[in-house]
Amino acid sequence: MNPPLTWYLLLAAALFAVGTYGLLTRRNAVAILLSIEIMANAVNVNLVAFSRFLNDLAGQVFTLFAISLTVAEVVVGLAIVVLLYRDRDDVRADLADRMRG
Amino acid sequence: MIQLALAVVLGPLAGFALLGALPILRRSGLAAGVVSSTVAVATLVAAVALLLGVEPGAAPVIAEVDWLPHQGVAFARLGLRVDGTSAVMGAVVALIASAVQVYSLGYMASEGRPSIGRYFAWQSLFLFAMQTLVFAPDLLQAFVGWELVGLCSYLLIGFYYQKPSAAKAAVKAFWVTKFADMGLLAGLVLLYRETGGFAWSGLQPGWTATAVALLVFLGVMGKSAQFPLHVWLPDAMEGPTPVSALLHAATMVAAGVFLVVRTWPLFEVSGPTLHVMAWVGALTAVIAALTATVQDDIKKVLAYSTCSQLGYMVAALGAGSPVAGLFHLTNHAFFKALLFLAAGAAIHAVHSNSIRDMGGLWRSLRGGSILFLAGAAALVGLPGFSGFFSKDLVLEALVGAHLWGPFALAIGGVAITGYYVGRVLMVAFFGKPAKDHGPLHTPAVMAVPMAVLAVLAVVGGAFGGRIATWLGGTYHFHLTPEGIAAIVLALSGLGLAVWVHGWGGGRALVAAAAPVGAFIRAGWLDRFYETAWRQGLLAVARGAGWFDRYVVDGVMNLVGWSVLAGSEQARRFQTGRAPDYILAVVIAFVVLAAWGAVSGLTGCGGAP
Repeated sequence: MNPPLTWYLLLAAALFAVGTYGLLTRRNAVAILLSIEIMANAVNVNLVAFSRFLNDLAGQVFTLFAISLTVAEVVVGLAIVVLLYRDRDDVRADLADRMRG
Repeated sequence: MIQLALAVVLGPLAGFALLGALPILRRSGLAAGVVSSTVAVATLVAAVALLLGVEPGAAPVIAEVDWLPHQGVAFARLGLRVDGTSAVMGAVVALIASAVQVYSLGYMASEGRPSIGRYFAWQSLFLFAMQTLVFAPDLLQAFVGWELVGLCSYLLIGFYYQKPSAAKAAVKAFWVTKFADMGLLAGLVLLYRETGGFAWSGLQPGWTATAVALLVFLGVMGKSAQFPLHVWLPDAMEGPTPVSALLHAATMVAAGVFLVVRTWPLFEVSGPTLHVMAWVGALTAVIAALTATVQDDIKKVLAYSTCSQLGYMVAALGAGSPVAGLFHLTNHAFFKALLFLAAGAAIHAVHSNSIRDMGGLWRSLRGGSILFLAGAAALVGLPGFSGFFSKDLVLEALVGAHLWGPFALAIGGVAITGYYVGRVLMVAFFGKPAKDHGPLHTPAVMAVPMAVLAVLAVVGGAFGGRIATWLGGTYHFHLTPEGIAAIVLALSGLGLAVWVHGWGGGRALVAAAAPVGAFIRAGWLDRFYETAWRQGLLAVARGAGWFDRYVVDGVMNLVGWSVLAGSEQARRFQTGRAPDYILAVVIAFVVLAAWGAVSGLTGCGGAP
């Protein structure tokens, strides 16, 4: 017996909430990137679940696209983190506050 | 006829333009004077021809053009109005102006050349301005001429602008008359609002008519030096003496009286204004005459005398008799111009204005003395001289209007007039010479205009009938009780002066009158104006300063401060830290989602 759609959606919502919480509370830039990754994958869970229950492959194809885009995003994000580290000898995102008013 | 009038008005303008546009001519000195005088005399010829051509009682000849038309409707009319009133006044003005200009050729000869040119240019402009006023077909053009006259007075009073007192006197004359002109301007605006034009007839009796007449009369009070706005006239003596003659006889101060005669329909419908005029005129006549009794400067005596005589004219107008007003204006123009020119001849010869420095001119300057005597006799109103007839008519008008208060003042003024004229004669002409002048000389170019004026001053009374008919009235001389009283009073005033200043009698009387003299000399009115003006101005300035510093600047500072304080608060939101911005996004998302959920549940508001 397969679990119903609601469970997948609840899982995705829980992952998204965990990701958001991490995004807001973590100070380490790498941890923030990980949180973003969790949030993106929460969305991917949603897409795959709907694709499965609606019998529409477009959702799974879209998820593949999203995964590859996320990889690219992580590359850019890590590059920023590296630059930040070189600049400040630290990867705490709090310190990147040059735009303070 | 219109061509003649056009020549009378535009001739002097051409003279002014010629002197103004050609620096070579203007700086040539007497040549400029000759040009200007020639124009003035030509103007006189045209004006007299015009006067002889005007039929008494005929309808006025008017030629005018639209001025400032707007959507086919003219704002005002510019042009010429030839009738008895304007023709008489135009001739008098041209006569006095030409006499003064010819006389000036001698009087001003010792000035620098550019100064002479400037002097005559202003003289020509002055004549043009006055004729513009005289021949004006409506009040707006009259106002233009009126203001030009004021400007020219300013320029000529301040002719010796290097002298601080002359510059001050010019400014004072300008300010006082301009203050009064505010009234005239307000009257014009009110008239325009009431009638939609600037014509002086057609106003219905009522409070509006009275307001217009009173406002116009305020302008007249300034121009014609009526108490309490007469303070500028004595100071105007700082100008050259011929200018004084012109100002006092035919142009500046006469403009006020003339304006009332000209716009008589305005005043006719306003009883209260006439009443005010009678009182103001009579008061001026007495106060100015009293002031004249203590002046030592011969020109100041004559200046206050002018004030006093203008008072008579205004009183006559107040009594409802424009004929008496214009008649006295004409005669006064003759004898006062004569008196000033003769006094100028004396000043020219003695080089001093003070009657104390003159003394015994009868022996050293016989010709000038005779001329001055003729003018003085007319001023006092000795029977047979011109002033007698017109002053008699003024008194008669006051009696006829049952204005007993002004009449009492006016007839008292006659005695004072006799006294101050007698004093000048005794001290300056018959008294012991202050120093040995030797035989003094008056150039012919100065003597001839004076002689002409002297003849007119003596026989001027004969014009009364003509002037009356030109104005549409009648005049026959007959001896009235008030006329006899005036003769007696004038002679007794004269006698008192001879007794006190000729024979040195009445020491006790002189001693008793000394405090009065001191009081008059103190110049209380001038002090009052100065104090009121200065204090008033200072108070206004202080108030304006306070308002600017605390209200205007205060608002500005408050705006600036609140922007600064507001942004100081606002910048705290901009932490520059990405998680904070994300937190804001999350909070906004939660709030919006909650809002959407609530409105979705209740089914009202929110998204469709």
